[in-house]
Amino acid sequence: MKTSIWALALATLAATPALAEYPEKPIEIIVGYSAGGGTDVMARTVGKFLEEALGGASVVVKNEPGAGGQIGFTHVAAAKPDGYTLGTFNMPAALALTYDRAADYDAKSFTYLANFVEDPNTIVVSKSSGYDTLEALIEDSRANPGAVTMGLSSLGGNDHFAALMMAKSANSEFTLVPFKGAALARTAMIGGHVAAGTMALSQTVGFEDQLKVLAVLSDERSPFAPDVPTAKERGFDVEMSSLRGVVAPVGLEPAVADKLLSALAAVNANPEFQKMMAEQGNPMNYIAGADFAAIAETQSEVARTIWETTPWK
Amino acid sequence: MYSDLLHALPQVLGLTNFLAVTIGVIAGIVVGALPGLSATMAISVLVPFTFGLDPLVALGLMAGIYNGAMYGGAIPAVLLRIPGTPAAVATTFDGYPMAQQGQGGYALQVAVVSSSIGGIASAFALMLLAPPLSKVTLLFGPAEVFWIAVFGLCSIIFLLGGNVVKGLISACFGVFVSVIGSDPIFGNDRYTFGYLELLDGINIVILLVGLYALPPVIDLLEAPLKTENAASDNLGTEPIWRTLPRMMRFWKTWIRGSLIGIWIGILPGAGGSMAAFMSYNEARRASKTPDTWGKGEAEGVAASEVANNADTASALIPALTLGIPGTAVAAVMLGGLLIHGLQPGPMLFRDNPDVVFGFMWQFLFGAILLLFLGGSLATNSFAKLLKLPRPLLGSIIIVLMLIGVYSIHGRMFDVYLMLGFGAVGYLMDKLKFPLPPVVLGLILGAFAEENLRLALRIGRGDRSGLLANHTSQVLVAMTLAVVFGPGLKRRFWGNRNSGAQG
Amino acid sequence: MSDTPKHRFLRPETLTAIGTIIVAAGFLLPTVDLRPLSALLPATMLVSLIVLGAIMLISDQRKAGSGQAARPMTKAPRRVLGAFALVVLYALGVDFVGFYPATAISVPLVAYAFGYRHPFGLALATLIVLVAIWLIFGFAMSQEFPTGRLWSM
Repeated sequence: MKTSIWALALATLAATPALAEYPEKPIEIIVGYSAGGGTDVMARTVGKFLEEALGGASVVVKNEPGAGGQIGFTHVAAAKPDGYTLGTFNMPAALALTYDRAADYDAKSFTYLANFVEDPNTIVVSKSSGYDTLEALIEDSRANPGAVTMGLSSLGGNDHFAALMMAKSANSEFTLVPFKGAALARTAMIGGHVAAGTMALSQTVGFEDQLKVLAVLSDERSPFAPDVPTAKERGFDVEMSSLRGVVAPVGLEPAVADKLLSALAAVNANPEFQKMMAEQGNPMNYIAGADFAAIAETQSEVARTIWETTPWK
Repeated sequence: MYSDLLHALPQVLGLTNFLAVTIGVIAGIVVGALPGLSATMAISVLVPFTFGLDPLVALGLMAGIYNGAMYGGAIPAVLLRIPGTPAAVATTFDGYPMAQQGQGGYALQVAVVSSSIGGIASAFALMLLAPPLSKVTLLFGPAEVFWIAVFGLCSIIFLLGGNVVKGLISACFGVFVSVIGSDPIFGNDRYTFGYLELLDGINIVILLVGLYALPPVIDLLEAPLKTENAASDNLGTEPIWRTLPRMMRFWKTWIRGSLIGIWIGILPGAGGSMAAFMSYNEARRASKTPDTWGKGEAEGVAASEVANNADTASALIPALTLGIPGTAVAAVMLGGLLIHGLQPGPMLFRDNPDVVFGFMWQFLFGAILLLFLGGSLATNSFAKLLKLPRPLLGSIIIVLMLIGVYSIHGRMFDVYLMLGFGAVGYLMDKLKFPLPPVVLGLILGAFAEENLRLALRIGRGDRSGLLANHTSQVLVAMTLAVVFGPGLKRRFWGNRNSGAQG
Repeated sequence: MSDTPKHRFLRPETLTAIGTIIVAAGFLLPTVDLRPLSALLPATMLVSLIVLGAIMLISDQRKAGSGQAARPMTKAPRRVLGAFALVVLYALGVDFVGFYPATAISVPLVAYAFGYRHPFGLALATLIVLVAIWLIFGFAMSQEFPTGRLWSM
């Protein structure tokens, strides 16, 4: 994976004149969602600190909402790899889109710069639901397959994948109810209209009085909810999370890539940046360069497997 | 909680924050009043820009714009029969006939007073009752919301106009347009023909500008320069203190409209247009002279305008407490909150009381300011604008339409789509197809479908789940009462008013 | 019939009804590929449109049969078509040559074409519109408008 990207990058380098002083004009970060969403706020926060890290360059966030982010992802993939067009990248959503409908890009269309946020999915119920442990919920779903309704933010996203993987691992069955967005799913859960949900951990923050998180679907317990066990601890080997990072089109010139990578690393090391991200409720997980690309490859495989075994369209 | 409310007051009264609200209200009136520009568009343009501002300044601007635009939309609705915002569609019913009768000034005064009253009522609901009202929102799961949508769709029968067949064609057209995009459950594409831009469905503003703004513009251009219909020349404006006593008879409509607006606001997804339509229908049903409605009845303007403003602050109740916006504009405003690190939820009130309660005060001040800023100033200056030579006015409106539609998502695709709807709208207008059913169909069609299918999924295909609880049963009873009520009422209860606000 | 010079199938309502039926039927084709639950609402609407269109067609033809004249759609069809064409041209202009140039040409052109011919008034109005838009959207809100696809090719 790593070598292929660099090989491509080298190939384009030969064709383009060396850059004198990058950046010499404003850098655009394309966000595939409307202003004010979690991804948009991340892009703006990163952008603000990136300006500093690049020595006073101008970074502009541009929203191109539509089609679940696909319009924005496609734009980034097709842009000139000159370092002046970057984009936010959401996994697994961006990659799931490449399977469930025709997309003009795939996991190999990007130069993976840095991932900032990793928001683990959870198994969560309403406080009034009567479920106290993950085992109790799973037991009910096994005793009466489909009786446990599971609210999701959409089909083809991390919520959906988390529910499918959980059902598979626990050898049980849920009735999946895809709402339009996590907030509606959460409201239906609090109102008792669905039994449980798989929303990302950050979506449960602020609703501690109404919701009970039964398990976090990550490798380790989250610092945001240290008392909540992981599903692994309870014997279900399920990991799913939503990742948000910054990418560039494939074939980014190495000189520019290096400059961006070191600038992004400086952004991440800035305590001010960390503070702002924490205030916005973002669980951080900085993964840069080749490691980020490797995760994208894995995520793409996960999405492909799920799509092939349980297509949702 | 109420002490927090008082605690937040001083800083809202600070110069910059108060100025933000004032500027917001003025900007909102202008945006609402210019055909083609909408509150949704104005706030979505504003949101990224506020990233660097102080939260209360940013939120004050948005609160002001929201309040101002809801009234501003009435100005072209009355003077040109072009609703400036989707929620002003019902204002055209009686507002435009009034303008033609030389009462445009009075219509606008009724609109501004009613808007202000609705806004104040809504702000109080938000300030004092947000937590209990958010519990009401929780009662409404997919099954209940489905019945709300059915209730709203049933009110289409009162909007069909003279020709039932044409009215139904309009309604079916609206509902059909609403299903374009990705399927709400499976996510497969419906009638998008490969255009990604269509996947999220067709934004109401695009349809509205096409259907409602383009045909009158063509009319402006079609008519030779000097013709009859100089409605805008003679607004018939009297000083407001003389007209105010005449409005006092609307007090019942104001109360009813405020309650309907607040109620619709706390239900996610329905929005100001439905509130205005319902308030208009209920006021007409309660009226002793229903025959004068649609021909220049000032109470109709009052009913529509009070409800569409009563929907503003209350739409933020589910937005702030649960993260689910009650209207399209509230959805954009939610983005404005998130950009300032304000995560919606019950904790918001605990963690950021100064900002949240300050924001609520700003809504109240915005609604009050509307009365002063919207009154003489805005009304007179816009009336002058509309005295521009008609070809010039037409060509300027065309530019505004393009800006308004382009700026929502920043793409030309939407502009071409709008022109397509404009051509359809022109035909419909000339052949006397009623346009309100299209708007209501677009808003409620897919909304009803989505919730019905969610409810069926939750019930695992069992249809009895749709009527399983009391909320649903009450809603069905209300729908039946509204549809069959008028006939039965005359028979059994005489003239007593059957309540329709839950 | 005798009042109208046109054929009875060329009445505006008849044409609209036929158009509605054809378009609705056209949309029914892709509906077949959808899953049943997904197709239910759109199919219901399309079939209703076809039925309603047919009713409209019949009632308008009855009117034609009984000799009622169709109401003319517009007093000046050429002006209407001209207006539409200018609006479409303006949109294309914005797309291909950019927002500001297209607007600078379109505002005076449309106003001039439809009867407002004071050179000073035209120039002033165009200037005010452009400057106001630039100040509010371009300068204050840093909104971007299309710069013209022609130039970026």
